[in-house]
Amino acid sequence: MKSFAFLATVLAVLAFGKPATALNVVTTTTDLAAIARAVGGEHVDVTSLTRGTRDPHYAEAKPSMIRSVFRADVLLLVGAELEIGWLPAALQAGRNAKVLPGGPGYLDLSETVPLLDVQTGAITRAMGDVHAAGNPHYWLDPLRGISMAKAVAARFARLDPAHASEYEMASKAFESAVIERMKTWRAALAPLKGKKVLQYHKSFVYLGEAFRMTLAGEVEPLPGIAPSARHLQRLIARIKAEKIGVLIMEPYYDRRGAEFLRDKTGITVVVLPHSVGASPEIKTYFDLFDGIVAAFRKAKVI
Amino acid sequence: MKRAFMRRVFFTAALSVSMAAADPASAQDSASELKQAVQALRDQMKKMQSGYEGEIKRLETRLQTLEKKPETTVVQAPSSAAGETSRVDVFSKQSPIQIGLNGNLISGGSSVGNEALGNLQRGHHDPKTNGFSVSNVELFVGGTVDPYFDAQANIALQIDSEGETSIELEEAFFTTRNLPGGLQVKGGQYFTEFGRANTQHPHSWSFVDQPVVLSRLFGADGLRSQGARVSWLTPLPWFSEFTVGAQNAKGETAASFLGEEGEDIGGFELQERGGRNFSDLLWSARWLNGVDLSDTVSANLGFSGAVGPNATGSNTNTYLLGMDLYMKWQPTRSQGGFPFVAWQSEIMGRKYEALDSGDPDHKNLHDWGFYTQALWGFKPGWVAGLRLEHADGRGNNADDPFRDSRWRVSPNLTWHPTEFSKVRLQYNRDWAQHLAEKSADTVWLQLEYSLGSHFAHTF
Repeated sequence: MKSFAFLATVLAVLAFGKPATALNVVTTTTDLAAIARAVGGEHVDVTSLTRGTRDPHYAEAKPSMIRSVFRADVLLLVGAELEIGWLPAALQAGRNAKVLPGGPGYLDLSETVPLLDVQTGAITRAMGDVHAAGNPHYWLDPLRGISMAKAVAARFARLDPAHASEYEMASKAFESAVIERMKTWRAALAPLKGKKVLQYHKSFVYLGEAFRMTLAGEVEPLPGIAPSARHLQRLIARIKAEKIGVLIMEPYYDRRGAEFLRDKTGITVVVLPHSVGASPEIKTYFDLFDGIVAAFRKAKVI
Repeated sequence: MKRAFMRRVFFTAALSVSMAAADPASAQDSASELKQAVQALRDQMKKMQSGYEGEIKRLETRLQTLEKKPETTVVQAPSSAAGETSRVDVFSKQSPIQIGLNGNLISGGSSVGNEALGNLQRGHHDPKTNGFSVSNVELFVGGTVDPYFDAQANIALQIDSEGETSIELEEAFFTTRNLPGGLQVKGGQYFTEFGRANTQHPHSWSFVDQPVVLSRLFGADGLRSQGARVSWLTPLPWFSEFTVGAQNAKGETAASFLGEEGEDIGGFELQERGGRNFSDLLWSARWLNGVDLSDTVSANLGFSGAVGPNATGSNTNTYLLGMDLYMKWQPTRSQGGFPFVAWQSEIMGRKYEALDSGDPDHKNLHDWGFYTQALWGFKPGWVAGLRLEHADGRGNNADDPFRDSRWRVSPNLTWHPTEFSKVRLQYNRDWAQHLAEKSADTVWLQLEYSLGSHFAHTF
């Protein structure tokens, strides 16, 4: 009888995987997961649908994702069309009205922060992979991170009123922690201020804004299109003429183009962690910016 | 950090010293210059510090301006959702429906003539002529109907080898959004969820043509019909989904079942036979399982079955069974979904009761086949593929292009300039008993494009 009860418990844990009281939070990216953990603490069980090592634009609605969506109480997404290529399929197969657009657990965080690069004119695909709603890489601004944490806390509070005050306190603590560390990060990155920085993909506009870098264009000729040899030649001329000293890029892009530019112009290539989990030691939202500072420091840019 | 900062400060100081040294008017008293430089350095540090103080203050104010109201959208529980809120399509805020058009152009040449080629390429959307084919132009419209339903339709057009355009309503169905207990109902005209390839539209194929065994067991256009199915996503600790459905068994898209009057299977002509009751429907079931085997490998394993009446007799049935496996590897670091290796295989068989059991010519036709294909995305935008296929029917059927023993090997290379276009070169080597030449070599060059909404990819 005892062993039966034990078996039943094991089965129940396997099937439901968490104490019934915790909010089951599913996020599209590891950054949102890190914020959700910081805000939700022990009252949430957080799963990220993608890994921090991959390009969040590209994923597939894998069976494990569908299952996560199916069991979710809350879905946090970056929005601004970042997940357009895979999330809708996971949502349709996941058949969970709580986290469908319009549902109580659906939170598109792009609606909680001001976005850059919002397109106002006509858009065609001849312009490359342009996100009409705005640039979706906003988690790379710690101040926007604060707004995100607040929105997440408010949503958690609404769905789990019993712990509302804890969520609010956690988000306040998150805010002061970010502001405290912002001083350190800003001081560390101060040498970049005013320095011309070339980015591989247009994914560091928020980082640039937060840390006052002068972003001098992209290596990609159009968003999502890899540079051709001819385009690289043009870039060499530009880098030399405009004295651009630093090139920043995500770890998942092919580095040959950037290394070619480095060899021809002496530009310093800095591979930045773009997300929590981009490397194993980056586990929290704070680690992400520590990691970015460390990457610049390792490249001797600061 | 501090060291870097100091280095910068000293560099600035040294620079001002050297600049001062270069100035002939003040070069006379280098000691006082140095003092001045040190003073300048002190001033600069102070200025930076106070500037930094101001920076933090600005940060605080910026924080306040940044704080838009966190919850800008009014969110309601779906049960009380007034249509408007839930109709907002987050995937494309501009329009609540998704709309897209896929088109293609395939050119090719074969060692055999058009008639023989048509027998090798049995799929409706397969290229089947020496020269050019526009074998699939497909309009997709889909979206969320209301808090309770999603719906979509696929309208496919093609130009046949005679130059005639045909149009068909390939799919048009709804799915429910919020049934409890992991249930979902789908209804309308839709591809039967049997195996993996059957439900895929040509633009998601990895080869220019459909597998031979599908053309044989499901007909030129895949197994699809009007009906409804219910699927249940189980609470098991892995992804496990059961689907059961019933569809009409009549028409050319139910070729192994009631099919179309006048057609024949294995020499047995299909008679007029309408559906009489629920047992004359095409019933199908599928059990799909999915797991992440590791951080880099995911797999799907499915089992499918279908049973329904066929029109060679008044009491004859057809039985289909199939198994499919899909595995995909992608390293933890990948750019735009590359590199990857995907392996997909299906095996399926059919038992076809030809003529009623009392009939002296009654017999059971047994057919089976498999395909196995591997795709290697070796660099961003580039995919190399290889497919091996076999199909065969039991009995004396060497002259029947639908039931003879066939093998086919198809290597191909696909280049995706972007997600919205692709160029594909494919070589088919066919061995078929019914062919006078016994084998055929064919080369196809395909260009495919997608317009409109960005569609999501399933695994």
